[in-house]
Formats: sequence, C-alpha cells, structure tokens
Amino acid sequence: MPHEARPRRIAVTGLGAVSAAGWGVAALWPALREGRTALGPFSRIDHTRHRTHVAGQVPDAPFSARLPRHLARLSFSERFALFAAREAVADAGLAGPLEDGPVGVFFGTSTGGLLESEWYLDRFWQGNGGRAALNLMAGHQLNAPGDAVARHLRVTGPVETISSACASAALAIAAALRALQEGEVELAIAGGSDCLCATTYAGFNSLRSVDESPCRPFGQDRGGLSLGEGAGVLVLEPLERARTRGARVRAQLLGAGASCDANHMTAPLESGQGAAAAIAGALADASTGPEQVGYVNAHGTGTPLNDAAEWAALVTAFGDRAPRVPVSATKSIVGHLLGSSGAIEAVATVLCLEAGEAHPTAGDGPVDSRLKVDLVRGEPRRLSGDPAALSTSLGFGGANAALVFARGPGEAA
Amino acid sequence: MNRSVVITGVGAVSAFGLGLGPIREGLLAGTPRLTEVERPEGYHRAGGARLAALVGAPDLGPWLPAGAGRRMSPPSRFAVAAARMALRPAGDEGERAGTETAVFLSTAFGPASFSEKLYRSILTDGPETASPFLFTECVANAPAAQVAIACGAGGPSVTIVQREAGSLIALGRGASEVTSGRTSRALVGVVDELPPMAHALLDRYGALARATPESAEVARPFDRRRNGFTASEGATVLLLEDEDSARARATRPLARIRAFGGAFDASASRVGWGTGVATLRQGLLRLLDRAGLGPRDLGLVVSGASGSVAGDRLEALVLRALFADLPLPRILAPKAVTGEYGGGFLASVVLAAERHPFGPTPGFAEPDPELGIVPHGGGALPRGGLLLAGSLAAGGSAFWVVLETL
Repeated sequence: MPHEARPRRIAVTGLGAVSAAGWGVAALWPALREGRTALGPFSRIDHTRHRTHVAGQVPDAPFSARLPRHLARLSFSERFALFAAREAVADAGLAGPLEDGPVGVFFGTSTGGLLESEWYLDRFWQGNGGRAALNLMAGHQLNAPGDAVARHLRVTGPVETISSACASAALAIAAALRALQEGEVELAIAGGSDCLCATTYAGFNSLRSVDESPCRPFGQDRGGLSLGEGAGVLVLEPLERARTRGARVRAQLLGAGASCDANHMTAPLESGQGAAAAIAGALADASTGPEQVGYVNAHGTGTPLNDAAEWAALVTAFGDRAPRVPVSATKSIVGHLLGSSGAIEAVATVLCLEAGEAHPTAGDGPVDSRLKVDLVRGEPRRLSGDPAALSTSLGFGGANAALVFARGPGEAA
Repeated sequence: MNRSVVITGVGAVSAFGLGLGPIREGLLAGTPRLTEVERPEGYHRAGGARLAALVGAPDLGPWLPAGAGRRMSPPSRFAVAAARMALRPAGDEGERAGTETAVFLSTAFGPASFSEKLYRSILTDGPETASPFLFTECVANAPAAQVAIACGAGGPSVTIVQREAGSLIALGRGASEVTSGRTSRALVGVVDELPPMAHALLDRYGALARATPESAEVARPFDRRRNGFTASEGATVLLLEDEDSARARATRPLARIRAFGGAFDASASRVGWGTGVATLRQGLLRLLDRAGLGPRDLGLVVSGASGSVAGDRLEALVLRALFADLPLPRILAPKAVTGEYGGGFLASVVLAAERHPFGPTPGFAEPDPELGIVPHGGGALPRGGLLLAGSLAAGGSAFWVVLETL
C-alpha cells in the first residue's frame, strides 16, 4: 500500500530539541545512537527526602543557546520551547518572523511553568507574594510555552495548547496535522515542553512509579519511570509547499490516531485495547497497513503495568509480526518528558527514519521474558526496506495517541 | 468525509444551578449570581475584588452519586455531571457515550484546589507525604478522563488549555472530529473551579472588577467605566453529532456548526491583550472565507467581552474592523451575567443560537466612545443570519465559531 492516499501529504522540514542530552538535535542524536543515558543525579528540585534520586535534567544552557536578555525571565518550560522552536525553524530554512500566511502553533505540556509557580507559592505562603514575584506566575498558565513560541515567531494563525498528560504533545502534533490537511494553516510549529518540578516528582513517587535506577523500559526487573524535562519541536508543512521552496524533507507525517481507555485514572487497560485503538486509528489515517510498519518508538515508560499494556497493544496491532518489529524506548536516554514526551520522541523517530536505523535503548539488563519485544539494545539497528514508523504516547487518564511517520519521498537512508 | 455537525445536548453546572434552564433565566433577567469569595488570611489584598460566580456545593445526586464524587476533584465532578446531562437527550441508557465518542474539554486553571492542597502538603509535611489521590486528580486532563470513564467515551480525549479561548477551541476541534468522520460523536465543553487562591491571583494581576467610590464591583463589558471581569466557576458540556444520525433518531438539533478557526495576536503580553486588530480581523475573514461566508452573513455576535479594559477594547475594534461599512449586528456580552471562565459563556452561545431572548447587559450604561459598541439592551434576538461567537484570550490566542440556528 503506498504512503500516498492522503490528498495533502505533510512533510517534516524542521526539528528542534532540548533534553537531558543537551541543547539541540546535535546533542540528542549522538546520545540516541550510542544508547547513552543522560539520566542521573539532578538538582532542579530538592529530592533529598524522596526514595529516588534520578532524573533527566537539562544541563545549563551553553552560551550559544542563551536567549536574549529580554527573554531571560521566562520559565524554564518557555525557554526550552523557544530554543527548540528556533532551532526547528532554522532547520527548516525559514528565516525571521512567520507572520505571512496562516501559520499555527500546536503545543503540548503537562506542567507548563509549574516549577516557577512553586517558587511563587513558597513566597506567597511566607507573605512575600508581592507584585515583583508575580512574574513567576506569568508562565504558570499551561498555554505559556506555546504562546511564547507564537509570540516570538510572530505567528498569526491558530495557537492551541493541549494538556492531556503524557499524550499532550503527540495530540498537539495530531492537531497540527489536521489543521494542515484541512487547509487551515500552511505551516505548523508543533511540539511540546515541560520542566521538572517538585509536584510531579513527589506525585509520581507517591504512586511508587519512579525507578530508583535509570528507567529500564521493557526490562525484566523494571521498577518504574525516570522523569525528564525538555522540549521537542517539528516544523510541518504540505509536501508540495516544502518542495516548492526547496526545503529539505526530513520525513513525512502520514497519520495520527487517538483514543481513551475510559477505564482508570492511572492504570492502563491490561489488554492494551485503548492504545491499540489509537494505533489502528493512526494506521488507517495514514493509509498504512500494519505490515508496512518497520519501527516502533514506544512510549516505553519502564513501569510494569504500562510496558505490559503497550506490548499487548503492539500484539493487537501487528499480530504475529509484533516480536519482529524493532522497538526503541527513548525515555531510557532522556527520561519521561511528560507532556512533551511525544514531541521529543517524534523528533527521535524522524532522526531514526532519516538515518535508516533504530536507536538502541539504554541499559543492559534482560528484557521481560513475558514480553516478546524486539528491543533494540547496544548498537543502532539498520531498518530494513523503507518502513513506516510508529510513535506511541499513552497518558494518565487513559489518553492515548499514535503517530505514523515515513521517510520523505525519494529520500534514501 | 465532510458531515454536517449539530449540537444535540447541553449540560451545565453553574452558580445559577444545574442545567441550562437556570442560566437562561439568569441571562433573561440580566442578573449575575455573585457571592463573596472566602478570604483566607494573606490571599487577597485590601480593597481588591470580593465577588465571584461560585458553584458552591451543589447536590449533583441525579448526575453523580456522592460516593463517586468523593473520588474526584471539584472540576471533575462538575464536568461529569454536565456531560451526563448533555447525553440525556441522546437517549443513552445510563448516560453512556460509546466507544466512538471523543471528549474535548478546556480548562483555564485545571483542578486548582487539589493542586494547591498537594503542593501545600509537599511543602509543609514533606514531599514523601504527597497524596496519590490528589496527584492523579490535579492533572489538567483529570476532568476529561473522568468524563470518559463515567460515560464510556473511548474516542480521543483532549484537554485544551488556552485560557479564555479554550471553550470555543474545544467546540471547534470536537466538531472537526465529527465532520471528518473520525468519531461519530463528541462531548465538548469547558470546566473550571475558582478557589480563593485563584481568585486572589487574578485580582493581584488587576484582572478583576473592583468596587470604586462611584460604582459597585460589577463587570461592565464595553462600558467606559469597565475595570475588569468577574470570575466564575462551573462546567458546560455539549454533545455534538453528525446531523443525519441525530435526525434519524428524531432528536431535535439545537444548532449547526458552520465554521471555526483561530488567530494569534503576537503583540499581546504573556498575561494581557495586545493591539493586533488587523491580524485578528484577517484571521476572522480567513475562517469565514474557508466556509464560503462573509461578514454580511452574520446576524448576531456573542462576544467574549468581559469588562476587561484591554480585552474589550481589542474585541470591539476587531468587530468594528470586521464589519467595516456594514451595520453592526446585535452584540451580546453574556459574561456580564455569567462571569469569565467556567462555562457560562459557552452555555450562552447555545442559548443565543436557539434565539432565546436575553435580558439587558448589566453594568453597561456609558458607551466607550473609543469602542463604539452598545451591547444588547434586552429582549428578543434577531432571527436572521448566522451567529458568530468569539473569545480573545489573554496571551494572544483567539478563536471563533460560527453557528446556524435551526
């Protein structure tokens, strides 16, 4: 089945990333290829009283990544978002403001500027919440990272932020896809941004969902997730537009699907049926058969229940082929970026397709013998043929999203 | 696939009570339902806003058993009750939505009281004492998830967080799911709660209406004396279906969704409104054009004007620029009654689409010559033309939906 059923094919022409691996795609890709985890000790928040002490913290910005002085008061989430967006726009060969033509921003976040809000509340409850400190709350609104990107790029089209837990950014990319397919916008900046904060670290620890070691997705002895922070951004546009302006087509976004388990606030359906519905929807939207998928960038959090449910969903989607589809778990390298995990993993998926190889999952323990996952370990794995790639995002509240990518037409790895 | 989408059900929880009826009565009377906000020590500044449209602790019994409600945050409770109300006309046994139903809910603040409680406990009792229940119910998408669980909605679950523009974005994107055939139905809406801290913070930003020596604490959309909005809480959820399916079930559609779209004003600050009149007008014209419509087709405007100094100014100037030499259609400003946030605005849009009579716009007495807008003075609404509903959010985002009366 060709990847050409859609009347309007959507190209990925720019990528941007900030993660524990560093600032920029150039820092992310070597970590992915080497399967080198960036998880470890961190200092963003005080975690001394917790059982666990591991996360993926973004390193201090190098001089080249510093924002102009007037943007220095933005929240961490806004700064991550701005850096990744600027990188993606530059990567797409677009210069200057994007105020001409309908350009949209579609962003996902789980916590927005919650870290800075916590700082404000600390002061507020100590009776020191005066006007000056209010700036800390300005980034609290969950729309702040996407708005900051839109404001900086002088976008004039729709700007929308989705906060559906860990599926947020994938749903935002899906929303961008719809807006492009329906001709509502001609260019979309899509992605997500999130920052470590005390609330989420304590919250996930309260659920006993955090591994004491760097997370081991699909591992036999996996003990939970590792939180991370950062941003991922994709520039999306109709393929014909990209070709007309001579842009490099890094990949195609073929389709998106979404569903809800409608079952439990935190536990996934054991059967994986909710996630499988999202995958099936994405494949149908992409006019792509399951047999064409040759790579999965899994949600792969490292929690016992999530990984098992995700595997069940992959079995539903791919049947007997499931154990032979190479799977990477990017969270083993940069951690779980919550609302922006779908964005950084979409960036990773595109990079893998472009290179024609699946990146290894960090860690060396045995894979769960009950899950027959073909987990790529140690070295990058050459992808066979010209496969479509699936990226999954499965969130709190049963929110599921799946994206299907393929290499750009005519692009050989 | 490009199906016609209609609204077939509405549920609401508001300061006026449960359901759309009490909001309709409130709008007809032109009287907001405001109560004094609790003022824990140190939250509010002296002389600040005191009032808001609060839901209180309503008996949601018919829609949400108390036992189930205890396992939810206030916004989750509001949203589930409103969703079940919205599903009732669809004849769903037990208010079940079905696996092909999407949920698109918006929220400005999420479950704010639970977030506050959780962080306070982390600070005061130590992070290791954090409650897993509070944590899972303090995520922004908890209300949407609880709606999906309660109603068995297995379609996409999407929580929009775009402040004042959120409810219309949820309506538009939910409609898009049904139009395209990706889902057969969608529960769309908005939910918010307003604990004292959120009220106090809005006031510290200078967003809320305040009493002055000359006037009471009242929201005054488009009025020369306006000095802020009154905040509110609650939920409104609409059921969207494709028109053919609704009519096949002999369900009376309330309104048809004809167009939607958004724009962004990059001149806005992070917490305020900008001056990008031409940009927003262009965005509005673009969405009308995509639907084969123009300003002449619009016979009624439900504006998002709330009494905000800068927000109402931008709203007024965009509307005047849109209609240019055409006579301005009737303009409603329902937030004068319902308040900002919490779903009253979305409920008003449905009532206006049904052409229910609206009362006078409270708080409006002195036109602002710069704005040149005189909102509805009470009485029947004009029957002709389409309805344009718009909301401009602080921060720069704007979204509009065009509805057709049936």
